[in-house]
Parts: sequence; structure tokens; C-alpha cells
Amino acid sequence: MEIRRIGVLGAGTMGHGIAQVCAQSGYQVNLQDIKDEFVEAGISKIQKFLDGSVERKRMTQDEADLTSSRIKGTTDLREAAKDVDLVIEAIVEDINIKKDVFKELDQICPEDAIFASNTSAQSITEMAMVTKHPDRFIGMHWFNPPQLMRGIEVIVTDKTSQETLDTMVNLCKKLGKEPGICKDSPGFIVNRLLQIWYNESLNMFDEGVADPQDIDTALKVAYNFRMGPFELRDLVGLDVALVVSETHYRELMREQFKPPRCLVMKVKAGDLGRKTGRGFYEYESKT
Amino acid sequence: MRIRTIIIIGETEFKTKLQELFSKAGFKVIMSDLNQDYDKQASEADLVLETVSEDIVLKEEVFKRCDAKCPEQAILATTTAKPWVTQIAEVTRRPEKVVGLNFTKNPFDEKYLVQIIRGLQTSDDTIQVSKELLEQVGVTAVKIGETPGYILDRVIASVVNEAALMYTTKLATVEDIDKMMKICTNWPMGPFEFADTIGVDKVVEILESLSQQLGPRYLPCFLLRKMVNAGWLGKKTKRGFYIYS
Repeated sequence: MEIRRIGVLGAGTMGHGIAQVCAQSGYQVNLQDIKDEFVEAGISKIQKFLDGSVERKRMTQDEADLTSSRIKGTTDLREAAKDVDLVIEAIVEDINIKKDVFKELDQICPEDAIFASNTSAQSITEMAMVTKHPDRFIGMHWFNPPQLMRGIEVIVTDKTSQETLDTMVNLCKKLGKEPGICKDSPGFIVNRLLQIWYNESLNMFDEGVADPQDIDTALKVAYNFRMGPFELRDLVGLDVALVVSETHYRELMREQFKPPRCLVMKVKAGDLGRKTGRGFYEYESKT
Repeated sequence: MRIRTIIIIGETEFKTKLQELFSKAGFKVIMSDLNQDYDKQASEADLVLETVSEDIVLKEEVFKRCDAKCPEQAILATTTAKPWVTQIAEVTRRPEKVVGLNFTKNPFDEKYLVQIIRGLQTSDDTIQVSKELLEQVGVTAVKIGETPGYILDRVIASVVNEAALMYTTKLATVEDIDKMMKICTNWPMGPFEFADTIGVDKVVEILESLSQQLGPRYLPCFLLRKMVNAGWLGKKTKRGFYIYS
């Protein structure tokens, strides 16, 4: 089917970026969040990004104006969803809130609209099953920041129809993105494999095989990884890392996903990475 | 101690690379192999770099002989990719002076990374001298303990195993898994490209060794074993997860 109008729910880090990418590619976008200030913040971030692009001559003023003219902000879910061909949900990572929203959308949206969730941690199947048309439900997992990251994981369930999948794959391409298809499963492709990469590195530190710096250096120098696992953990924040790690372990229930002891202990000790000045490495103290 | 004279004992092609590396940095390099009588050469060596084929019996012989002939302060190093340093050290009377120096060639820029492997008996001094030596040669070196696959290929083998499981359980295709890891996380290669580069046989060997030491969570995915049986070992056999012409 042809997508013309897209509703993006959630104007946060991911939502506003997704709305911008869609609008830049010519789609009409309704950007919805639950409070006026969230919607305004999202729209002003988009404006700032567009202004920056014009300044750096990546975009003409006309293109920027046209892009922002295609985005309509609202706090009203009905307003945002009643006439769209596709909803992309990028709200808080809470399965119950998400399910409630999709139940509501089921009442509001046109019969043939596609529902997509940008979740990285919840089951697409579980969300799909609260709607009347699980065949038109799909996962669309973007990476941060959406404006710059080229890959999108397209997540299918046993109920997703081929037509829905084809529509989404085409949409990704029209947005200038590269889709990778994955069946609904914890962590999808990227986060699941990253967990192994992190855990194996951290486990070696726990076993006393090598220090963080030596492991990071080895992976960067020998195999051209841009950053090592320990540096990346520190950058993202060890508390956030631990939550993601625990989620994978809980969902996949296999030993290789068990949060490494060094990660657990650092979090307990309040050494959360760059933001606290200390994680696997020491950073200049923040005052 | 200062290292001036290095004797390289090996049969592999790699030994000429080593020769180049150390000669260029100004060391006196003596080349030898198992067909030569290297007793006299060994008596001048400050460092022995053994790079014979991956056969523990052969390596132990070389180390015994070097131990008998080399000056007492000389360091004896093996380039083995297997976790054998402790075992090899044990056949000598200078186990504290035995160390692993494993060279990995970066597949993109052809530079080397050296993993300095500490056996159970290796002394701090031996590690330090090795590290300084490699700095003089201009090669990045990291210090590690003995573990199957060492740190580099242990991480990669674990990732390959999970990716192979995801592929066999039909969660995603080989191409999509590789593509997403490259474009969503900036990995230099996807897991299957890594497998084909390192060798599927090597991946399986590392995983089997890890599973013996650390538990069944490392057991290689059945697909990987089947590929080894089929001779689909990666680039070196022109077929692994991908076909190479």
C-alpha cells in the first residue's frame, strides 16, 4: 500500500528524529506527545537541526522550510492518528502503556493503517495481539540519532503479512534507510549480538585475562572497531548498560547473557562511566 | 635486559614477515628452521621467537633444545595461537622467561597487533621486556592471560556463535545480520564476514576449547560444526558463509 501521512507518537530523542526523517522525504507527519512542552521541544529540536543543515549547506532553505511545513504537532492522539496510513510509536518503553495506546489507536485509525513500534526491548508480538489487525503490525527499530543512522531493523511477527513487510521495506528505502529484517525476538539483531560482544569482553576482565584498556586496544588495533567495549560502556553509562543486560538475560535465559560481575559491582559502587567521572576508566572529574 | 640478537625458528611463511619487522627496527635477526642445527645460533640469542607449525610436541622439542643452548638470561617466546604457553614453559628450566607473542594481522591495513601471553610462570620482567621490545619495533602490544582464542578471537568466536544460532533459528539472514552490525553499530565487518576471515574451523576450535574450560554455554552451534565437516571454512576454502570466487 501507499503511505502518505504518518503519525509519530512520542516527540523525544527518537520520535522527533523519526518525524524529521519522514518529513524530509516528503511525508506529511503528525507528531504527537502527551504534553504541549514535549511537542514544542521536539519541534524546536527539529528546527534547530534543519537550521544547522542549512548553515552547513547540506540543505537549502526551501527544503528546510518545506520539511518543517510538513510536520504538525499535537497532544491529541485522535488528531494525530485519525487520517494516517502509518503510525510509528516511539513512546516510553513500558509494555502496558504501549498496549493501551495501540488499543486506542485501533479505534481511531483508518481500518487499513499499519502500526509500527520503535521499541528496542518489548515484544512486538505481544503488542500486535492487542490490536484487531496483527497482520498490519510490525516493528521498526531505529538507531540514535535517527537523522544520521542509516540502519533500521524491521521486526516481523508470525502474524505480520507479507504486504505489511513489503510496505515497510519500501518505506525504509524511500526514507534513505537500509532495512534489515528480523523475526520478533529479544534484542533483535544488533542489541543481541552487542550483548555478547560486551559480555565476553567484560567476562575476560572478570576472569583476570586482561584489563579493559588492553581488550579495547586489541579490538581497535587488530580489527578496526571504532571504540572498545569498555569505552562504549562508559560512554553510554553503566547503569543503563546493566538494565539492558538484565533485560536480555531475563528474556533469553541463557548464561552468555548474564550481566558480568564487574558491571554489577561498578553500578553498585556508583561508578557509572563518564557521567560520574569513573567507570572502567577514570575521567577528569566533573565539577 | 637488552635484546640485540633474535633467532627466529620456524617453518611458516610468517617467519619472513617477522624477520622484516625486527631487522627493520635494527635488531640482529638469525633465521633458522627445524632442518638446521641451530645450537650455535641459539648460543648468541637474547630472544628466541619460535614459529613452527601448531604441534605441541614439535614446539616442546624446540624449547627444550633452546633452553639447553641459549644464554641463561635469554627469553624464549612462542607465536602459537593456542593456549600452550604454560605447558611449553614447563619443559624448560627457565619457565619464568617463557612467553607467548601472538601476532594478529589487521585484515584492513595489514598492521600487526601482538598479544603478549603470560603463562602461569612468566615473570613480570619477561612481560615488560617483551612489551618494550615490541614498542621499539613499532607494533602495538597488549598484555593478556592464557585463554582459548586469546582475547581477540574469543570475543569474535562468541559473537559468531550467537549469530550462527540466530541464522539457523531463522531469525534473520546472514546478509541482514552482517549488514545491520556494520551500519547500526559501525562494526568493521559483520559476524559472518569475521567467521570467514578467521576461519570457521578456528572458530569451532576456540569454542570447543572454551566450552571445556568454562562450561557448555560456549558449545559451538551445530551449523558451525557441519560447515567444518563440509569443508566450508571461509575465505581460505573459497566458501564459508559466503562464496568467494
